[in-house]
Amino acid sequence: MINFYHVTKRFDRYSTALHDLTFQIDKGEFVFLTGPSGAGKSTLLKLILRQITPTEGQVVVNGRNLNTMKHSLLPYFRREIGMVFQDFKLIERMTVFENLSFILTVLNVPPKEHKRKAYAALRAVDLHHKLNAYPLQLSGGEQQRVAIARALINDPLVLVADEPTGNLDPDMSRDIIRIFADANLRGSTVLLATHDRELIRESGRRVITLEHGRISEEKMQIAERAAPRSEHVFGMAQ
Amino acid sequence: MARDFNTQGRHEPNVPSNTLTYFFKEALRRIWTAKRTSFVAVTMISISLCVLGSFLLLSENLQRAVEQWQGRSRVTVYLSAEVTNDELKGVNAFLAAHPDLSSRHFVGRDEALQRFTTYFTNLAEVTGNLEENPFPPSWEIEVRPEIAQTRAFDAEMDDLRKVPGVDQVQLDWEWTRRLRHIIDLLNVIGIAAGGVLAIAAAFTIANVIRLTMMLYHEEIEIMRLVGATERMIRGPFFIEGVLQGTIGGCVAVAILAAGFFAGQKTLAPSSSLLWGFLFGSFLPWQKILVLILGGTAAGWFGSWLSVHERAEE
Repeated sequence: MINFYHVTKRFDRYSTALHDLTFQIDKGEFVFLTGPSGAGKSTLLKLILRQITPTEGQVVVNGRNLNTMKHSLLPYFRREIGMVFQDFKLIERMTVFENLSFILTVLNVPPKEHKRKAYAALRAVDLHHKLNAYPLQLSGGEQQRVAIARALINDPLVLVADEPTGNLDPDMSRDIIRIFADANLRGSTVLLATHDRELIRESGRRVITLEHGRISEEKMQIAERAAPRSEHVFGMAQ
Repeated sequence: MARDFNTQGRHEPNVPSNTLTYFFKEALRRIWTAKRTSFVAVTMISISLCVLGSFLLLSENLQRAVEQWQGRSRVTVYLSAEVTNDELKGVNAFLAAHPDLSSRHFVGRDEALQRFTTYFTNLAEVTGNLEENPFPPSWEIEVRPEIAQTRAFDAEMDDLRKVPGVDQVQLDWEWTRRLRHIIDLLNVIGIAAGGVLAIAAAFTIANVIRLTMMLYHEEIEIMRLVGATERMIRGPFFIEGVLQGTIGGCVAVAILAAGFFAGQKTLAPSSSLLWGFLFGSFLPWQKILVLILGGTAAGWFGSWLSVHERAEE
């Protein structure tokens, strides 16, 4: 599903963000990407969304080589990826509903279905009562959850999240991880970048650790504390 | 995974109706948000199309006057103010000898003066103060159109000019020919001035769209990241320019119509001949459509310039 072959990303002669990375994430996997700040996590996620291209090596996502993919196909490729950005990237002049409705317009979903789908997505992140609020009227955590709802609204093939729990308290963080787990159960491949060691320890998932742009460790985390079963039913695609 | 999202070789589908609605809604919202800059763009388009429209209106009415006169092939033979009876007889004999000039009417000095005061009512006071009637007598001769512009007839008129007592021989078609040249010139000036202004207006619209795109820079980036196609991103900007241009065209037509009908109401009756020609009729619907579509085209060109440029960036 996601393949990196000897990927190096250099921004200039003195700054190499990623060094010769090779790894594979299979269809249906849930993988944590961790490492200290500046390790190259965000750069790696940007490569997956083809916001940037590698200096060397190949990136293949959903069977498509992103190095050679035509620019005109990029929007269709990105529609298969649900991305939760670290800075949320919500459109400030639009309400929460409009932010979600816009994505559905991009995906050619008939307007009469927008309200139902947006409501379902927001209900899953417990923000259905904020449908008409503007992003700036929401707390950082709430904006984070709107961004997650937007990423999940179309049941993407690949779900990529950059620090999705960065602004949330521990309980809310666990809830969010459960939402990602539900999406994973429905078939989305999940790659989640986080600093949160506690969440990783509880997860029992595969973990890729980056340090100075190199994979320092790749292991299967044994769950130290069983996470309670998710009460969320994320049925937006139904 | 149940679904297969193979997009290889897939082409961008036609814009669905809900996307077109989105384009228009967004474009109108952006025009409303940037009211001042949009107003400048619409004003520029209106001014340029008003200039072009004024020339079109002027040439339209002059053209109509020319067509009105063109059917008649009239020769006016002005006699000298001090023409003697013998000279008058000589002129009459010349005219009588030529069957082409048989349909004629003599206009005496008094009739000429009376006609002038009827045509130019606002100058009636001036002529009333004259001690002496300045208008010469003349012959007005209707000539069949098929012989009017022949070489033989030209030779005949040259002979007539040489007859004693004849001051001037005026051929109506020469006058209309000259007027036609003036109309052509007016059209060229109008198209050139209107064209230059329309290009300037298109660049104004381009700058307005460019500013709007800069304003929405972050939003555009988000749209790209969530999978919006370039068509979807650029669509509202195109529609914004097209709407501004079309509104400018409509405003220009409205201003021209208001000016024309106000002028027709106030000026035309008071000084009959000149204003009667200039305020004869408003532009035909085809030219109105050309003006409005001209605005639309300028708007489209302006938005194309900026959107194309930004997309290349």
